[in-house]
Amino acid sequence: MCLAKPSHHLMLSRSYQPAATITRRIAPSFISRGLASESIPSSSPPVDATKSSDVVPSLSPGVFTAEVVSGAPFRLVLAAQLRHRVVRVYQPTRNTMQSGGAKGERWRIDFDILQGGARWENPLMGYASSADYMQGTRMTFKSQEDAIHFAKKQGWDYYVQAPTVKKIPPKNYSENYIYRPNKLRIMKTK
Amino acid sequence: MLRIVASASRPTRLAVANRRNIASTSARQADITLTVDGKEVTVPQGSALIQACEAAGSPIPRFCYHDRLAIAGNCRWHVPRRGTTLTKTRCVMARSLPFLVSSFFYSSSSAAPAMNGQVVFTNTPLVHEAREGVMEFLLANHPLDCPICDQGGECDLQDQSIRYGSDRTRFHEITGKRAVSNKDLGPIVKTSMNRCIQCTRCVRFANEVAGVEDLGTTGRGNDLQIGMYVEKMMDSELSGNVIDLCPVGALTSKPYAFQARPWELKNTESIDVLDAVGSNIRVDSRGVQVMRIQPRTNDNVNEEWISDKTRYAYDGLRTQRLTTPLVKGPDNRFVAASWPDALSAIADGLKRTGASGNEIKAVAGHLADTESLVVLKDLVNRLGSDNLASDLADKSGDAPPVHGVDIKSNYSFNSSIPGLESADAILLVGTNPRHEAAVLNSRIRKSWLHSELVVGMVGPRADTTYAYEHLGEDAKALQKFLGGKTNGDFAERWAKAERPMIIVGSAIGEHVDGEAVFSMLAQYIQSAGTRLVRDDWNGFNVLQRVASRPAAYEIGFVPSRAAASTTPKFIYLLNADEIDPASIPADAFVVYQGHHGDRGAALADVCLPGAAYTEKGATWVNTEGRSQLGRAAVPPPGAARDDWKIVRALAEVVGVDLPYDDVVSVRDRMWAISPSLVRWDALEETSLPVAKAGLASLAGKKKAATGQKLELPITNFYQTDVVSRASVTMAQCTRAFVTRESEPLAKGAVEMHA
Ligand code: SF4
Ligand code: FES
Repeated sequence: MCLAKPSHHLMLSRSYQPAATITRRIAPSFISRGLASESIPSSSPPVDATKSSDVVPSLSPGVFTAEVVSGAPFRLVLAAQLRHRVVRVYQPTRNTMQSGGAKGERWRIDFDILQGGARWENPLMGYASSADYMQGTRMTFKSQEDAIHFAKKQGWDYYVQAPTVKKIPPKNYSENYIYRPNKLRIMKTK
Repeated sequence: MLRIVASASRPTRLAVANRRNIASTSARQADITLTVDGKEVTVPQGSALIQACEAAGSPIPRFCYHDRLAIAGNCRWHVPRRGTTLTKTRCVMARSLPFLVSSFFYSSSSAAPAMNGQVVFTNTPLVHEAREGVMEFLLANHPLDCPICDQGGECDLQDQSIRYGSDRTRFHEITGKRAVSNKDLGPIVKTSMNRCIQCTRCVRFANEVAGVEDLGTTGRGNDLQIGMYVEKMMDSELSGNVIDLCPVGALTSKPYAFQARPWELKNTESIDVLDAVGSNIRVDSRGVQVMRIQPRTNDNVNEEWISDKTRYAYDGLRTQRLTTPLVKGPDNRFVAASWPDALSAIADGLKRTGASGNEIKAVAGHLADTESLVVLKDLVNRLGSDNLASDLADKSGDAPPVHGVDIKSNYSFNSSIPGLESADAILLVGTNPRHEAAVLNSRIRKSWLHSELVVGMVGPRADTTYAYEHLGEDAKALQKFLGGKTNGDFAERWAKAERPMIIVGSAIGEHVDGEAVFSMLAQYIQSAGTRLVRDDWNGFNVLQRVASRPAAYEIGFVPSRAAASTTPKFIYLLNADEIDPASIPADAFVVYQGHHGDRGAALADVCLPGAAYTEKGATWVNTEGRSQLGRAAVPPPGAARDDWKIVRALAEVVGVDLPYDDVVSVRDRMWAISPSLVRWDALEETSLPVAKAGLASLAGKKKAATGQKLELPITNFYQTDVVSRASVTMAQCTRAFVTRESEPLAKGAVEMHA
């Protein structure tokens, strides 16, 4: 079961896309993406927390990725198509069900699901099975830079999603009772 | 009522640098400095103490205070200690309090203004003791039913009583706890009124944001109840938000009742596509199912609200799905096929019909994502066709749009959604924003409540949540108004308005008078000089109602004039479900790609199962032209695939070489077409000269208005697309609020009682 699903997906892409996409990411030509090179030089990733970035490829000079350090055979690395994935670096928004904003200051990395391999209902138990060993992983960091650094070390391409800015006007209890000259626009039922 | 202080809510001017930092508001208003927990903080004058504490990084636990609602100060919960003495306090909301005693001793900082030089402690033993006391009062009448309460795990009361509460109660009422009967608020909001702590957030939301002024309170003190006064449902397209607002489990979600606990859910931050606002949502999923959809705060788009359709149409994602490719057999029945078979059946069909050039037609449906639109356009173009229609019930989608697509400001919401708050007069033309963009409508109401905004409307009367002056029903009335021949309050105010705004509904483009309306508006704007369109303000707006349309226009997914008159032989429906079956020639070969078996699939010879919006990472462009990146929360069911991949695979089979193989290079292609498509979250405004050129191109078309009545495109807000049509909750809402079959006070029911 575990293998059946993703291979089904691959079948689709293999039979009609002879130019296999698996090894492409390793090619350095990938860096020369229009947008990435226009606004953000790939060697110095964005630290501007107010802007969303484009996908930044992780090949950056001076950072040894985990697989290089681990000494795993390169062939295995090539085969590990699951490895080269775009992760997202973002700040989770507050749960609107609650008013506390405690976890909102942290930065998170998580993974997009894999087509075909993400999850399916296990016919035996009805549980969700998955062929994607990263689908349950979610990492939390103190700052955006930490998260980006980690992604680079792992050799993950990443995409920074800017946090939204909260705009709340000053509020005052007395405003409930302010006199308004024109026709009353609200009927308060509190 | 919350007053927007001067122009504080104008997003461009209120530059709050980061979430905690009210202090960085520009110094237009007098600022005051106070000390919170030994930390100095500067906030604008008129801020509530609770805001100052938050700015200082000592957020105060709260129940009734809410950033986006007026201050009530009735829960008495958040009690920082002021100065060295615990001063007596005004008992502001005592009437609604069963917790009277505590409020005599502690002031409530959401109601209290911050004062210059104040010294505030939020974390002393005394404060804790005070909180413990208030908590004891709050729990005195609160049922102990957390195990069966849907709020469990994300309940403010639960969390705060763990943190501040006492471990035992001194409350032993012989008659038991207060009992309150539940109310029937309709198919969305489930009530359990025993749990209500009377924070009145729901009432304030209904009053201020939703415009439902009949949700309110009755009784006093211990007998205070929340309800609709009479047996009535809460008829609002934003009612689901009270579930979020309710800090306890008094208002919970009916469709989600007893379905999941928050800790079981995987949260994916994504984008809603059921209207063109592009509300930010969080998709909560468990296993392979979407369990619920929550709003995500984004002050540039949806603030903190989403519409009920956005929130509850998700159950439509579980039913009526296409899970495997289908090929129509000789007996006109669909037979399940494998992907290679289905794709070669399409290639055969294309060959068999002999379609060439513009006879190959692609139709972009409401829920088509930008990536797949780009790939489909490339494919169709490379097959030699320009026949790229949009999915409209009448044939207007087959013709090039009247406003053209060369200039973005001609079909976008140029003032931006936050810009609505600074408008001082709005002219609605043939649109009811309440149905076409419910969340955007709440901004108009907000602005209408807090400023002297006036609204005028040309087109059919609609039940908006603000008062408007009706100026007429057709293009001729509009002409009369623009010519200054209409009298009345609105016309007067409009003439004097500094930031006037025209909102043209997307349905105008489909109307016979569409061209006339656009050109008369453009001429008017031109003649008005800098009043409507100038450097810091573009008051010409087109309100799109369909998620895919702005992106389709942006990439030029529109037919050429020649293509519009060609009879197609091969039709590719990408998520197109509104299409008129009569517009499809009998001998044409039809392919449907999409996620639901709805009208489009029924017309098709081959169905290809695609992914719904919760199942693919895709780019969506909203009515402002803001592109946002949605994310996949759950995998598509069965053999369904990402939509752009399907089109890409098909291209391979029909022998067209498309220069991309993965999503990154598809986005490169999008960047080549229009860089703003991949500048996610950013809003790129059209520059003034370009916007003017756009208006000039509109003004150039001279066409007399026929005077036919304008029409609203949406009659049933709850069912507008395949997902909401497949949704049980939306069907119930339709029964309750549109056809009114299940309304307790519906006609039949009243007669029965009489
Ligand atoms: S129902 Fe909920 S939101 Fe409304 S007053 Fe009661 S506790 Fe507050
Ligand atoms: S939150 Fe301040 S009194 Fe309720």
